[in-house]
Amino acid sequence: MFGYIKKFIDFAGDQRKKMMAALVFGFFQSFFNAFSLLAAAYALGAILDGSASKKTAWVSMGIVLAGMLGAYFCNCFSIQLETRAGYTTAAGARIRLAERLRYAPMGFFNQRNLGQITNVATNTCESLQETLTRCMVLSVQGLMTTTAITLMLFAFDWRIGLVTLAGFLLFLLVNSRMHKAGEVMSGRKLKSVEGAVEAILEYVQGIAVIKSYNLSGDANKKVSDAIDEENTVSYRMERAFIPLMSVQGIVTKLAGLAIVGCSIAFYLDGSMSLQNALMMCIASAMVYNELATGGNMSALMRTAALAIDNINATLNMPVMDEDGADIAPENTNITVEGVGFSYDKRKIIDGVSIDIPQGSTLAIVGGSGGGKTTLCNLIIRFWDVNEGRITLGGRDVREYTLDSLLRNYGMVFQNVYLFNDTIANNIRFGKPNATLGEVRAAARRACCDDFIMALPHGYDTVIGEGGASISGGEKQRISVARAIIKDSPIIILDEATANVDPENEWLLQQAIAELTKSKTVIMIAHRLKTVRNADQIVVIENGRIAQKGTHSELMEQGGRYADFIGMREQSIGWKLGRTAAQSVM
Amino acid sequence: MDEQSQTKRGPFSYLFEWAAPYKGNYAVSVLTAVLEVLCAIVPYYAVSRIVTLLIAKEQAMGAYAEWLGVAAVFWIASYLLHAVSTTVSHKATFTVIADVRKRMCEKLARMSMGRVMDRPSGETKNLIVERVDSIEPTLAHLVPEMTSKLMAPVVILVYILILDWRVGLWSLVTLPVGLLAMTGMMVGYQGKFSRYVNSGKHLNAVAVEYINGIEVIKTFSQTAKTYQKFTDAVHDSAHSAIDWMRDTQVFFSAAMVIIPSVLVSVLPACVLYYLQGTLAVNDIVMIVVLSFGMMTPLIGAMSYSDDLGKISTIVGEINEILEEEELERPEKAAALSQFDISGKGVRFAYRDVEVLHGVDFTFREGTVNALVGPSGSGKSTIARLIASMWDVTYGSISIGGTDIREIPLKQTNTMIAYVSQDNFLFNETVRENIRKGRPAATDAEVEACARAAGCHDFILQLENGYDTVAGSAGGHLSGGERQRLAIARAMLKDAPIVILDEATAYTDPENEAVIQSAVAKLVEGKTLIVVAHRLSTITDSDQIILVNGGKIEAAGTHETLLEDCGLYRRLWETHIGAKDALEVR
Repeated sequence: MFGYIKKFIDFAGDQRKKMMAALVFGFFQSFFNAFSLLAAAYALGAILDGSASKKTAWVSMGIVLAGMLGAYFCNCFSIQLETRAGYTTAAGARIRLAERLRYAPMGFFNQRNLGQITNVATNTCESLQETLTRCMVLSVQGLMTTTAITLMLFAFDWRIGLVTLAGFLLFLLVNSRMHKAGEVMSGRKLKSVEGAVEAILEYVQGIAVIKSYNLSGDANKKVSDAIDEENTVSYRMERAFIPLMSVQGIVTKLAGLAIVGCSIAFYLDGSMSLQNALMMCIASAMVYNELATGGNMSALMRTAALAIDNINATLNMPVMDEDGADIAPENTNITVEGVGFSYDKRKIIDGVSIDIPQGSTLAIVGGSGGGKTTLCNLIIRFWDVNEGRITLGGRDVREYTLDSLLRNYGMVFQNVYLFNDTIANNIRFGKPNATLGEVRAAARRACCDDFIMALPHGYDTVIGEGGASISGGEKQRISVARAIIKDSPIIILDEATANVDPENEWLLQQAIAELTKSKTVIMIAHRLKTVRNADQIVVIENGRIAQKGTHSELMEQGGRYADFIGMREQSIGWKLGRTAAQSVM
Repeated sequence: MDEQSQTKRGPFSYLFEWAAPYKGNYAVSVLTAVLEVLCAIVPYYAVSRIVTLLIAKEQAMGAYAEWLGVAAVFWIASYLLHAVSTTVSHKATFTVIADVRKRMCEKLARMSMGRVMDRPSGETKNLIVERVDSIEPTLAHLVPEMTSKLMAPVVILVYILILDWRVGLWSLVTLPVGLLAMTGMMVGYQGKFSRYVNSGKHLNAVAVEYINGIEVIKTFSQTAKTYQKFTDAVHDSAHSAIDWMRDTQVFFSAAMVIIPSVLVSVLPACVLYYLQGTLAVNDIVMIVVLSFGMMTPLIGAMSYSDDLGKISTIVGEINEILEEEELERPEKAAALSQFDISGKGVRFAYRDVEVLHGVDFTFREGTVNALVGPSGSGKSTIARLIASMWDVTYGSISIGGTDIREIPLKQTNTMIAYVSQDNFLFNETVRENIRKGRPAATDAEVEACARAAGCHDFILQLENGYDTVAGSAGGHLSGGERQRLAIARAMLKDAPIVILDEATAYTDPENEAVIQSAVAKLVEGKTLIVVAHRLSTITDSDQIILVNGGKIEAAGTHETLLEDCGLYRRLWETHIGAKDALEVR
């Protein structure tokens, strides 16, 4: 329990003051709750010594009322502070996460971990904001109140105090056993949940294949095995906990009875008055109440601790040194000097050097997995190089702040991400203060204006998740418009247009031609025309430059480039059909 | 169940339906919970006996010890019963959860593919794993604990009424007052609650956008601004929760304090009846002891009201999958002598928007057919309807003269090999992934198909050759390589009908030539339906169907269409314009 409490306090950061205040009020609430006991003692005492009168009735009622009033205010303050601390802590965690994302290398992100980060920022933080302070306050309050009661009982009668303390310690012993058991189990639990998640995700993503190959039987078995395993582990975990929970409860009750038993014994040997012994009988049931309530928070504490671990693990993403200066480069010459880069111990780029003078076009060609995309990512510092350096305008890219570096680049990704916002605002993302006129001008250059105007709300049509559906080619053109309006001197793009139908492909090519007009261009090229017209072509293979030069130089040289062109021409001339099928083979 | 009764069913009727097979367990759980409460009353009685003995100044320790023993035994019994009760209900609940998850997975296989794919796979996984899991606390804890927590006050009340009916009535004073205080929570509840819910939703939407759009945000140097939007949403959400809490807390705390303070009326009543001489001291002590424990369980029960509220949301979400429409297919295989495919008056509406407006087509067995047209024309929809991914809304599609709705899904899937751009690979070895095409295939057959699909060479270059794990775990495979593996899988299946849904449109030029020759081998001697963007690849088809705006504009060979159809001619010309084969030389 103490381990968890420390974890919570560490995590709460500057909210810990509110947590403490909530605790203090909680403690006072317990104090006021004890007024009932006081009233009962007063009334019973009066009855027993024969001094009871109507006044006794009203006074006892007054004591209870006073306790209620005090408890009410303490409860209000305590819970409000608790809520504030909980929600503010979760908000703080979200903001730390968002802050961290700003400094993570762009290359770090992929579909999988973005999904995880989203999950942590939404679901995990949500569960934390509700559980964290509540279980924290209740368990600490239990400890504090019981400590206070024990001390008071020591003052009242040191022997009773000893008995109370013994029960208290026994409780803590069982509780710590329980948390240890929880730690052992939660590793297995986590693993079984991960197993179920993986199996279900694979099943859902592969359902088209599973169905069309009649694999439901096999696939179902895999999934239901994973689900059953998770079920078994969850149940075992409860099985391990429930007996300990019971023992914990039994300890509090038996310790209460021990107090009663001792009080009677002390009364019998004359070392305690009858009235005090009677009071102990009534009070014994309440001594450990708060402790038991706190002890019942164990499951909740585990949930909250797990949430904190998840958040901390997510916060532990790689970060890039961002101490650069806000630099406006004198020119847009780019140099890649002896660059090497490894990821997961795999060398992906090895000894690559390229000069890209301002205003020139560089075409990167090569097979997939050769390192084309990684090279582009290094140029725009989505990752930091391990060896060599990359410069823009004669200065190492690491001297720039990320913002001042990326200001110089316009990029068109293969995966287009559009925000759930209007088309105008999506385009405006490239230049936030752009007027609608500028937005439309950019859209026109990107061949988007016609289809946008045909939409029911024109530029105010909301797109993105849950918005109006537009085709992949149209999305790509909007992303080109976004890059056009940004008007940066260097354009980096992956010329991936094959998923687009011919009409859209034609328009997209025009849009890209507009975007790249009189810019420095770095492109992963697929089209023969762009390759041929490039000022410089590099052929990347296994992370190294296999060939470098212009189209005619490389065609003359022969080798990889000439082979590549040959294959490309062959695939373009290829046809599907009875005769053609045979001619290819 | 007819539709009418389905729409009226409340969330709990579903919960009961899911839990029905484990009724026995839940009954045991409730029964033991009842016994637990009855056992827990006995120690109170024992303590009151002890108090009576004390007041009578009994001097023999044996008399006290007897009752102390009784109290101890029944406390232990009560906790053991509680352990049994929760163990049983947890076991049943985890099994119910596993059942519901399995049902959801099986349901996915019976739904139309389109519906499955409508929902992002991450969301479906989230529903099946996380959301289903959250019925656990309600089902596992609510059943036994609600029972005991609601029953305990009633049992205690009955006991007090038996001791003295007048005091029993007095003990009921705080309940209505407390409940009345709680109604104060309802003032302006709707508005505050919806602000709380909406700000939470807004926060989640902003978080999803910020995290998933982080690449775009960074490259457009919008980090500061978007980060601001995110932090604003975070703060707004936290504040709305805190405000909502602050306003309702005042009333809730009042109820929490008032309801359990039974002594406020009981204590003066006891004193006054004692003064009247109508109530004995023994009974007073007993009543006071009982009063302390009377309403506390009720407060515990009230804390479950949140969980109950959440349940209806969760059940609704689960039913989004479980109550989804299914594809209806017979069990018995249809006798088919040939594989001509024909569609008559086929209409299809997607989300209430009709996308196919009555199309007719025939694909003769053993011919090569192409579906072409502008994007959004409906050409892919026709292919998917043939593959039974959706059902037609009106009209019919038949294979070999039999309506496909009269053919079991399994049989349809055996006849058709459907290859799309989505080349899903399982987290299994490359060999097993190919073998999915025909689970009975030998290793030699798998390798033969891999060779024919142009996979063999790259597979041998992988870390462990054919035993390398593919799928999301093996991210080293490029898109083109994945596509070739998918084609090898389809080849191994050796189905008489092959549907290529834009499957050849991959980006990588080097791979494209290999993929295309792989496809040519796949389709030898089969009925081929290809959805194509690149018109040049399908000019030799036996039949080209031009789809436009959900209707068939024209059908024929490349030559006849060029002559007779203006739209085809235009598409062809833009395609040739976008294509750059001729410009290279």
